[in-house]
Amino acid sequence: MPLHVLTRGTEPAQDREPNTPRPMNRNTPKNFIVRNVFLCAAAILITSCGTATFTKTGSDATIESLRNFELAFIDEFAVPGKKFNAAAFNAKVNEGNAKFQQAIADEKFTARRPVLVDLKGQFDADAAHLRSKASRGKITPALATEMKKDVNKIYDHALGRQT
Amino acid sequence: MPSDGKPKRRKSSRKKSELDSALDQVGDETVAASMKEFQELLAQAKGDTAEQIRQNAEELERRLVLLKNGEIDKEDFDFFVENQKRDLRVFIDSQPAQSQERAEKLTLHILEIAVTKVVPVLIAMI
Repeated sequence: MPLHVLTRGTEPAQDREPNTPRPMNRNTPKNFIVRNVFLCAAAILITSCGTATFTKTGSDATIESLRNFELAFIDEFAVPGKKFNAAAFNAKVNEGNAKFQQAIADEKFTARRPVLVDLKGQFDADAAHLRSKASRGKITPALATEMKKDVNKIYDHALGRQT
Repeated sequence: MPSDGKPKRRKSSRKKSELDSALDQVGDETVAASMKEFQELLAQAKGDTAEQIRQNAEELERRLVLLKNGEIDKEDFDFFVENQKRDLRVFIDSQPAQSQERAEKLTLHILEIAVTKVVPVLIAMI
């Protein structure tokens, strides 16, 4: 029969802490992975936000450039009393078509493409109306002013601004 | 602050615009009734809380006056109305379903009355 010494502080062997160093918490590797995944996700998010802002700024600049082109187009051809130069008019319309098509093709934000398509539609409508009026010498100062107001309003809406 | 929850109405004693003065000259009773309906809708739209509804009404009124004064012709007017309609469709589609009918009445419907009923009257006055 084993001898049990009743010494203070002793305890049965099965209740004692082992002498080997305490092993790593079972959850520690998992926590590392979770932390790293979180850090990577945060880094990706921050970087992508920066890229998105940059791209949107570029997209806004493209829209502003198209606005300036269209306003200049109206200024050039919606002039009361000016003789209509069909060749110059067609060349400018072709230049505009190329600009709009390029902008649509280059647009990284797919959600913005329909907006650019709408702006191209406005340019087409403006060009058709101007051709019709200018070729018959029926341009008035009010027509040019109102056309430019519409262009500015439509571009402001495209950029998400209230006018 | 409206105490009874009803929307505030603008007083009908608003100053007559150049367009109102022209449309008030219509003698024919049937035509005059249409003009009255148009003027009331236009006034309602001009006092609306939605920026785009107000803006549309102001643009329409300005262009009707330009047409009446011969500064633009009917082709120009129709062209601008088409521009306005194109822009408004996007606005109406973006409204909550319950507001769309009202928005349409105060925008596209007014433009329709202007083209079909008001413009012929104004052109006859030139």
